[in-house]
Amino acid sequence: MTTGTVSSAHRADAAASVAARRRKRRGVLVGWSFVLPNFLGFAAFTLVPLLGALLVSFTDWNSYSPPNWVGLANFRRLWQDDNFHTALANTCWYAAGHIPLTLAASLGLAVLLNQKLRGAGILRTAFFFPYVTSLVAVAVVWNMLFSPDVGPINQLLHGFGVANPPRWTSSTDWAMPALVIASVWRDMGYYMVLYLAGLQAVPAELYEAARVDGAGPWQRFWHITVPALRPTTFFVVVMLTISSFKVFDLVQIMTEGGPGRSTLVLSQLIFREGITRGRFGYASAISLALFLICMVITAIQFQAQRRSER
Amino acid sequence: MTRNPGRTTSLLAAAVALLSVAGCSSAGSGASTDGKTTIKIAVWNYASTPEFKALIDGFEATHPDIQVEPVDILADKYPDKLTTMLAGGDTTDVLTMKNVIDYSRYASRGQLAPLTDYVAQLDRPSYKNLTAYDINGEYYALPYRNDFWVLFYNKAMTGNADLSHLTWSGFSSLAKQLTSGDGANKVYGTYLHTWRSVEQALAAAQTDGNLLGGDYGFFKKQYELALDLQKSGAALPYSTATSQKVTYDSQLTTHKAATVPMGTWWAAALLAEKAKGTNDVDWGMAPVPQTTDGGKTTTFGSPTAFAINKKARHADAAKQFVQWASGPEGAAAIAKIGIVPSYSDSTIMKAFFSVPGMPNDELSRKAMQPDTVVLEMPVSERSSDVDQILTEEHQLVMSGQKSVDQGIQEMNKRVTNEVK
Amino acid sequence: MNPTLLQEDRAVHRPLPQPDTISTRARRNRAARHAAGRVLLYLALVTLAAAILLPFVWMLSASLKTDQDVFSVPVRWIPDGFHWNNFTDIWSQIPLLTYVGNSLFLSVVITLLQVLTGSFAAYGFAKVKFPGRDALFLGYIATIAVPWQAYMVPQYILMQKLGLVDTRTSLVLLQAFGAFGVFLMRQYYLTIPDELGEAARLDGLTEYGIWARVVLPLSKPALAGLALLTFVNTWNDYMGPFIYLTSNDLWTIQIGLKSFVGMYDAQYAMIMAGSVISVVPILVIFLLGQRYFVRGVATSGMK
Repeated sequence: MTTGTVSSAHRADAAASVAARRRKRRGVLVGWSFVLPNFLGFAAFTLVPLLGALLVSFTDWNSYSPPNWVGLANFRRLWQDDNFHTALANTCWYAAGHIPLTLAASLGLAVLLNQKLRGAGILRTAFFFPYVTSLVAVAVVWNMLFSPDVGPINQLLHGFGVANPPRWTSSTDWAMPALVIASVWRDMGYYMVLYLAGLQAVPAELYEAARVDGAGPWQRFWHITVPALRPTTFFVVVMLTISSFKVFDLVQIMTEGGPGRSTLVLSQLIFREGITRGRFGYASAISLALFLICMVITAIQFQAQRRSER
Repeated sequence: MTRNPGRTTSLLAAAVALLSVAGCSSAGSGASTDGKTTIKIAVWNYASTPEFKALIDGFEATHPDIQVEPVDILADKYPDKLTTMLAGGDTTDVLTMKNVIDYSRYASRGQLAPLTDYVAQLDRPSYKNLTAYDINGEYYALPYRNDFWVLFYNKAMTGNADLSHLTWSGFSSLAKQLTSGDGANKVYGTYLHTWRSVEQALAAAQTDGNLLGGDYGFFKKQYELALDLQKSGAALPYSTATSQKVTYDSQLTTHKAATVPMGTWWAAALLAEKAKGTNDVDWGMAPVPQTTDGGKTTTFGSPTAFAINKKARHADAAKQFVQWASGPEGAAAIAKIGIVPSYSDSTIMKAFFSVPGMPNDELSRKAMQPDTVVLEMPVSERSSDVDQILTEEHQLVMSGQKSVDQGIQEMNKRVTNEVK
Repeated sequence: MNPTLLQEDRAVHRPLPQPDTISTRARRNRAARHAAGRVLLYLALVTLAAAILLPFVWMLSASLKTDQDVFSVPVRWIPDGFHWNNFTDIWSQIPLLTYVGNSLFLSVVITLLQVLTGSFAAYGFAKVKFPGRDALFLGYIATIAVPWQAYMVPQYILMQKLGLVDTRTSLVLLQAFGAFGVFLMRQYYLTIPDELGEAARLDGLTEYGIWARVVLPLSKPALAGLALLTFVNTWNDYMGPFIYLTSNDLWTIQIGLKSFVGMYDAQYAMIMAGSVISVVPILVIFLLGQRYFVRGVATSGMK
């Protein structure tokens, strides 16, 4: 699109047009020279095998024997596979809870801990810690907290007069909310770090000016902090979306997809079908579906961000 | 700030230098040294699984021209790494087959070399569970150990109760009788681990049920028994056991449960703990409870085997190892450290019971000689999918989300519809 | 969240001129409210932090128990006896020092390369206009959306063909050029006004000069954040090293910890002791490094 505006603006002057073209070519060269060192490594070791894996989704490859082309058979199977439907629904359910809650919690923490508070350093470290604590410890403690009969969470709910509190990880209905809570707890420190970094780029002068104009704290938050953080928020939202749809470790350790299939997610299904059972063609088809979902959402977010940049 | 570019260049140079060091320090390949053939064998947790060292040492002592080098892979996700390695064309000579489901997968992909000719020459009755490895008349692995399920018990807690001819109803009333206390002092009559095999494989073995058949009515009694034990407080509730990640070892060794049905692999672990001084339990083994009081013992088990990689670099030497390890000499080597070998005769059993600390009372001896050992899960291309469904529905039944009948109905429906 | 305290430090430095009409009493009231708010905020944050650290406390307590006592019903927070020897035994049970060294090597090299190439490429995506740029960028993000489980095996086959399996190089090559760093840095560069680059260009700086002398110094918070997160992710990675590293002398600390998981059961006390040890370097890095991503220099350069 830049091409069109540049050349039409200089249509009259041929010499200027040549210069513009040269500048453009230089732009391409300069741009690629920046991108290339990373892109080479990225293309060779991630992009190529990844494209290979996506091609596999049209075959019956079992990781060893030569693959046979099966066309859309794997995708037809997706359409009928009850496990895929369950995992897809569960993953969406997880994402719907995990994305907004983590976003709000991490932004709130970052704004609070960006101040000159005594001991803020220790507090920041504390909030980052869930992300580095061993997953086994995380699973054990959360399972204990959620324990339906003796866990502190349900005792608290009893105290508030809830007669039949949820049975959390022992129940097909409540296992997913329990996972969402534990995962928000685990991830909020991670995204808090990104927000803290983003907050440093907000010029203090803006707050100053707003204060002079009589803006209250809430107004300053909504009218200065939030807009200034837009690029960071875009990053956080995209990463959160993708990581929610790819969630694996915590689910694997906390519930293993159970009870029954109530917390089975797409990545588990991919691992199970591919690595465990050797149906790599079908596993790749699931991955492709997961990929497309993420890309549609990301593209929408990308468009929205570009519009707001203008 | 102006010196930043210089600093980044030097950082880059440092990174490149580090990289080249990393490249140099890669491990060399196991080429033959001084005329010896070196074979590689894929094993798990080499340092903490003494059977591999016992087998390798024993083999090297009798085969001076062959050296055996373990390829140490973690037990956690061992099959996943093996699958990946083989996909990349790995040439490790001998592959340990963790269970028969994995075995059938590798064999059906054509990744294992056939051993059928050798199997034809064997004294087959002495090799327990050999037929589990029969795939359409071909054999691609030989079992070297064969664990099966017995009832472990804490002698101090069971007192003088007679465990020699337990039926399930007798077991149930005994468990309730041995239960006492509450809160932190609660003691359970038994601990039923969370695996589906505790109910399902025992039921299948003892009622001649088919785990791949799609009709699971034969689970009913076993489930009702387990749920009743749980409800009456004689066994730790399933939801607690799963959510607290309870280990079966802790239930017996910390005197929480009087009896625990479990596989014979546990014996070696209990002995090792005792040697280290981390448990003080006086334990014994009894036959698993039976459906009827007929005197015959039926239980289930799962063998572990060695196979030869089709792309093995030294196939002949590998074959020698597999034959030795699965035969009488290999069996003697691992029986000596308290592991139940697949090959079995009276001398081997004698070696097993003379391991220091191994309970060798009459009941334990009886437990170690069941009349029938049924394979935990039949080998078929459908095994792994059926296993998944049965596990999922097992969770729902045990956690009380579904009644036994509903659960069995769902198993029947799903196995019939989903597994092709 | 207490919005009164947002951007507090700035308010303290530069008190706003108060109109004369506001009485001293009102001002004193405000100060009192302010102090009360501060105490409440502290209370809330400290309580929250304590709750947040609960699993870590469990991890510490489990690391001092015997294997049998780790999972007790009900949970016991204070061990029966303190088995400090877990922390000494672990060094002799596994070659932990070698593993720590390997983890450190991988984390440092991968972090360096990721930060360097990522921030360099990000400049191309954020500040240089060239055709196809946005499509290429979207492609980068796209790869993040494919789960690793899907292309793990093809990637391994590639590495095997290159003869790099069972070397640390394989992991460096796989993890150092991820899209994550590019994406993060691009987003940060977008917050740096283009005018700064324009001014530098007028001063005769090339694009590379602008990156090195203008943009990079302004991005310290983001660079520090990226370095921290990359380091932590590499340090905690299990599946990558597990699949690629077979020789015991190349193993990382996470593989070492998983070696306590047996075929049927696990030595949980050892795993927890090892986890505590493995968290210490991250704790140190976080405490030392956080001043870079909180007390940034960015604002001063953006007049």
